[in-house]
Amino acid sequence: MFDIIGKRRWFYVFSLLITVPGIIAILLTFLPGARMGLQFSIDYTGGTIWEVHFQGDTPSAAEVREVLVEQGLPDSSVAITTAGERQYVLIRTEEIGLQEQASATPPPSASPSGSPEPSGSPAPSASPAANASPEPSPSPGLIVPTEGELGELASALQQRFGSIDEVRQESSVGPIISQEVITGAMILIVLGSLGILLWMTFRFGDFRMGAAAVAALVHDVVVVLGIFAILGTLFGLQIDALFVTAMLTVIGFSVHDTIVVFDRVRENRIRHAGEPFSAIVNHSLLQTLGRSVNTSLVVLITLASLLLFGGDAIRSFIFALLIGIVSGTYSSIFNASALLVDWHEWSERRRQQAFVQSRAGG
Amino acid sequence: MRRILPFLIVAVGLLALAFAVLPIDRPFSDPPRAMDTRLGLDLRGGLRGEYQVIATDDQPVTAEILATTRSIIEQRVNATGLSEPIVQTQGTNRISVEIPGVENVDQVRALIGSTGRLDFVPVPAESSQSVVDGAPLPAGMDATPLFSGDEISVAEPGFSNLGEPEVRFTLKETGARLFAEFTSQAAPTRQRFAIVLDEVVVSAPAVNDPIPNGTGRISGNFTVEEMNNLVTVLKYGALPLEINEVGFSQVSATLGQSFLEQSLVAGAIGLGLVCLFMLLHYRLPGAVAIIALIYYSVVMLALFRFIPVTLTLAGVAAAVLSVGMAVDANVLIFERTKEELRAGKTVSAAVEAGFNRAWSSIFDSNVSSLITGAILYYFGSPIIKGFALVLILGVLVSMFTALTLSREILRWVVRQPWSRRAAFFGVREDEFTIAAPPIRGRSREASARV
Repeated sequence: MFDIIGKRRWFYVFSLLITVPGIIAILLTFLPGARMGLQFSIDYTGGTIWEVHFQGDTPSAAEVREVLVEQGLPDSSVAITTAGERQYVLIRTEEIGLQEQASATPPPSASPSGSPEPSGSPAPSASPAANASPEPSPSPGLIVPTEGELGELASALQQRFGSIDEVRQESSVGPIISQEVITGAMILIVLGSLGILLWMTFRFGDFRMGAAAVAALVHDVVVVLGIFAILGTLFGLQIDALFVTAMLTVIGFSVHDTIVVFDRVRENRIRHAGEPFSAIVNHSLLQTLGRSVNTSLVVLITLASLLLFGGDAIRSFIFALLIGIVSGTYSSIFNASALLVDWHEWSERRRQQAFVQSRAGG
Repeated sequence: MRRILPFLIVAVGLLALAFAVLPIDRPFSDPPRAMDTRLGLDLRGGLRGEYQVIATDDQPVTAEILATTRSIIEQRVNATGLSEPIVQTQGTNRISVEIPGVENVDQVRALIGSTGRLDFVPVPAESSQSVVDGAPLPAGMDATPLFSGDEISVAEPGFSNLGEPEVRFTLKETGARLFAEFTSQAAPTRQRFAIVLDEVVVSAPAVNDPIPNGTGRISGNFTVEEMNNLVTVLKYGALPLEINEVGFSQVSATLGQSFLEQSLVAGAIGLGLVCLFMLLHYRLPGAVAIIALIYYSVVMLALFRFIPVTLTLAGVAAAVLSVGMAVDANVLIFERTKEELRAGKTVSAAVEAGFNRAWSSIFDSNVSSLITGAILYYFGSPIIKGFALVLILGVLVSMFTALTLSREILRWVVRQPWSRRAAFFGVREDEFTIAAPPIRGRSREASARV
């Protein structure tokens, strides 16, 4: 019989080989100045994405970047995307084109931002005056089309490369939303883990099982984040809004796997009472191995087809899921159960020591 | 219960099939609307804007103000005739607007975002030179309005003699009286009055004659869109507080369409491969699982249309993923059944034991998925909510199908003489024990306990 539990040190080492570089790469994110570690998309940093098609020849990315620099947007990236026969220019910049910005830019209406007091103030109480808002924004609304900076950029681009005949997508995320996405994501992951810990402790009557499952889950989160940080540093792979969803699915799936194994441990503990705990766990692992591998395989098949045929928009999302599911299967087989055995043996030893001590003392 | 179950399964299946395929009207809807599969903006194209209501020092954003703002924005958007706009409040001070298939994005953005506060301000003689169209009133000028946009009872689009777009309005009683008084007093000196929209002067005509009947026209340098926007804004009134656009996204219909096609193709390929795998690996039970999977898909589609669930890219991913979970329940059961066969049980006993023993795993693991799903649904952003809803439905439906349909079919199958071959169950001949001929009246519970 294959002894998985007996070789658990090797499996720990293998996990460390992936997680340690991953954690280093994640920590690089916090290094100021260097653009390394996790690369966040505009969903987190705030910014604007704009994808357009030019009626004439598609300009090169370098040419478009020149225009962006002229427009005072040096920190922008430009990519040429293709859909069927058509080529699009995909521009990512700092956040432009939102109304509050838009109204601050056009020169004619700029005066009130300099002098917030007199703009509309001695108005009667019935009129909600604007001067208390953080940025007094006399939204030009109907009079000037609210094109703002994006409008200027558009006209600069059109002057140089001919007219834009299709806007494929445009997306602007302000700092308020992006801040919320980040805190929301963290809260969701912590709450999800807590819920699982409680549920498992309740169902298995053993806090150690819940904790081991959560440890495996944290392992999977670190693996996915770490691989994204490494690939982000090397290839600029970005984390977008859907990433949180992927993370939570991975958590759910990881726990799914762990529960199936632990459920068998629970059953075998009663059936084979008296056998060493590590043998029971090993036996349970082997019994559930077929199911664990097959289920993962089924999910991996669907994910692989989504990755290959599902299009660009969800590619990074599916990739995160793919890593997470593989890691989840691995950690539920090789880490969660191994941890459970280690913890069990450790508390066994403590009990024996306490027993010996109490005898020696008495 | 045992007798009823098969009928229940068939009834649910037929109902789901009807909902999923037939063009049935949505129940309890007034006016009647056909049930359709709703696609999110990322799959059909459209715009989504998020707006923050800005509190002032003396006016915090109350729930009432938020609700008023929401309904005014909704009326404005509806007035444009765009189909199926969704205007929702988010949290304590935000409003999101989703409109599928918009072409003139800038006009709609301007329409939603403008506060719509129109003031009629008499211009004192000394400031007469410094009031300019398209700019705010000059600093230091007494900007006390004579009356505001809420005094307008009717606003209509029109064209001036020169063919330029203008907005014609009729004032309510108080406004008309004030306007008449002002114009009769201003006409001799040809005093100007400024029409100020959201603190920017639209136009500042000089009064030539007294206007006793409370009608007038506003002619700025309008485009037709701007004129229509102004009419709409005047019709539904000003927002109680200013709003700021804090997030905006727009996806063209062609991009959405290609996303949709790609994910459907990918999903179909994935499902096909999964079916192939199940059939090759699990043989006869695999075929049962495929039937269960088809049943599951039909029920899910029916639920999507019935509830209705708006499918986004994330939702499609969740649907594909929950297929994995649906298969997982079957995999758990079949692996267990195989084990029980190898342990020497008869086929029907092994099937029963497979279901009974796998149940605790299925239940515990699915409940943990439901817990994460519920947390996502309750605390998540709209994208995450959609994903969570599909996931929750997927888990519930997959548990139902595995425990009713798969089980009933497999029970029926193992009672058939033709099914009793080792190869059908993916085990070796010597591991296979043919069931004793079923004895009438013997309860299945008894056989399950073997």
